[in-house]
Amino acid sequence: MKVMLLGMNHRTAPVEVRERFAVDETAPVLHKLVDRPEIAEAVLLSTCNRVELVVTTPSPDAARHVLIDFFARELAREPWHEIGALADLTYVHHGREAVEHVFRVASAIDSMVLGEPQILGQVKDAYRAAADAGACGPVLSRLFQRAFATAKRVKNETGIAQRPVSVARVAVDLAKQIFETLDEKSALLIGAGEMIEAALVALGDHGLGTRRVVNRTPAHAETLARRFAGSAHGLDELESLLPMSDVVLSCVGGDGPILSREQVARGLARRRNRPLFLIDIGVPRNIDPGVHELDAAYLYDLDDLQEVAAANEEERRRESERAERIVLEEREQFDGWLVALQAVPTIRDLNRRAERIRRAELDRFAGRLQLPPEQTEAVEQLTRGIVRKLLHAPISKLRAETDRETGLARLEEARTLFGLDDVDLRLPPDDDPESES
Amino acid sequence: MIVFQNMAAAVYLAAGIAAVLGLALPAPKILRGARLGLGLGALLQAAAFATLHRLDAAPSLTDLRQVVAVMSWLGVVFTLALLVRWRLPGFVPPLAFVAFLAAFGATLSPGAGVATGNAGAELGVEASGSLPHAHVLLASAGLAALGLAGLAGLFFLIEHRALKRRRAVTRRIALPSLEALDRVNRLALVLGFPLLTLGLLTGSLWLEARAGRLWSGSLHETWTAFAWIIYLGLVGLRFVGHQGARQAAASAVAGFAFLVFAVVGSGLVS
Repeated sequence: MKVMLLGMNHRTAPVEVRERFAVDETAPVLHKLVDRPEIAEAVLLSTCNRVELVVTTPSPDAARHVLIDFFARELAREPWHEIGALADLTYVHHGREAVEHVFRVASAIDSMVLGEPQILGQVKDAYRAAADAGACGPVLSRLFQRAFATAKRVKNETGIAQRPVSVARVAVDLAKQIFETLDEKSALLIGAGEMIEAALVALGDHGLGTRRVVNRTPAHAETLARRFAGSAHGLDELESLLPMSDVVLSCVGGDGPILSREQVARGLARRRNRPLFLIDIGVPRNIDPGVHELDAAYLYDLDDLQEVAAANEEERRRESERAERIVLEEREQFDGWLVALQAVPTIRDLNRRAERIRRAELDRFAGRLQLPPEQTEAVEQLTRGIVRKLLHAPISKLRAETDRETGLARLEEARTLFGLDDVDLRLPPDDDPESES
Repeated sequence: MIVFQNMAAAVYLAAGIAAVLGLALPAPKILRGARLGLGLGALLQAAAFATLHRLDAAPSLTDLRQVVAVMSWLGVVFTLALLVRWRLPGFVPPLAFVAFLAAFGATLSPGAGVATGNAGAELGVEASGSLPHAHVLLASAGLAALGLAGLAGLFFLIEHRALKRRRAVTRRIALPSLEALDRVNRLALVLGFPLLTLGLLTGSLWLEARAGRLWSGSLHETWTAFAWIIYLGLVGLRFVGHQGARQAAASAVAGFAFLVFAVVGSGLVS
């Protein structure tokens, strides 16, 4: 049984193509897929950045055609006729590569934003849906469990997910470096546009306390204040609101700064020099850059935030090298398990093949020898002993090889050498060496 | 006593290494282990102090190594109390290594170490009842708390500088928030200054019991009195003058450096 993966993602296909393959309800699709004789197990991962089918198959070549055909006919919202073009937009991974890919996806190393936290939840949902649909067997169950464990290791042992890379998250992170908690902090919002709203949502997720909206047009301030349970104020109240604010978020149009260094200095003195975090995302800037020179004021404009975000992204990229090493370690372990799993039927088939030969030869000579029962029993024991000793070395070797990279190749060689795939290995239950043991 | 002190030193060293690893990797489980190690080290050291009297040649109260060991132990105890309320992972490595050195130092032959500036006072220990013990314990506790304030101040300055240079998010080891560091600084000052004051008062009373006067004019006394006046000023600025957090942090670092010199350094140069 081989693991195989066919998919498309943000690197191989543009969004207008990916959206045509997005699947909301995966269970019916999976049922159709595992009904095919070439596919044993299947999981379908469908997110805004990727659509991937992970399957196990006894015949990879046939499965590849089945999967491409399935992609074109069953996954596409409208039938996709250009199979050749689809091959260019997708990627196929077999065996170790497929395992590694699943681990990389779950660990967010393959994501558009390195280390993004959502993908792990999406992979878990995809696995759960496949398990609920009965499309997930022992191999894929184990594969996905290991993928979750790998993602956890990557998160805990590397800094890939630690540093925020979006401007809003950078602002939240900075606020948390200044304040112990945002729960009881008051925010002063200068402006009432979309940018302010988006930033307020990001900060609000971390439990901001009081919110005051200041705007040139009081009606707009009222609207935003109502939505976020805050109070609305005119621009003329700006300086008087400053001493009671911990976070100032500004994004309004205009020719020059609406908050001067002197105003902030006076505000800080009135708040007894408690720290003040100012985020200026207005262009041109709304807050005098000289404010940052005041001891207790920390002013970040859009460029600063973007610069920090870019630096964090670079740091995540460096951390991804450590994450890749973890993925390789975990893949090796999974390979070992998979080989061990596949060694069991091979060893069983080898025992059965030998027993079949032994039984056939004994039957052939039984008429000629005409042995009394006690001697027949002795010959039985003798032949069984010879078979057991002959098979001991190859079986021990096969078991030992399961820990190595060459394990699967050895199993294939054993099946070919002993002709395990050429004959019917079914035995009557009494003669089955497995049942004896 | 020596066995407990040795064990405490080993545990502190392990906790310090684990804390550095925990912060660098970063690995929260290792950090938790380091905190537990710090707690275990403090328990072992408490056992060492409790059995101190069983030694044939008990170390002098004014032996520098013992004083530093008591001081670092109290610092660890204060920090453990703070760790219950605040996340201060950055505090564990420096504290664990200082505690290791102090515990290890205390295991070296007692009495052979450098004496504090109060060395001459040993003569009156027997005659002065519990005053010498009270003086050493209160002054050590005051030093430990003010040391903690200095450490919080140092971390505040590092974090403040990073934020001002707009590099805060890219640093590898996360420090506590400025607000948390400032609160630790404030709390340690509130605790440390009265303890230091009581330590000075009991020291004077001890001197009076021994020599019949409250002030001998030794270098140790003079410099410690200067340090106390400086701290009085800092407390005034902090709680009455509403000094800014950065200035308070810088003051805590400078104040502790001066205090260490006054208590220990003056003994070394005299």
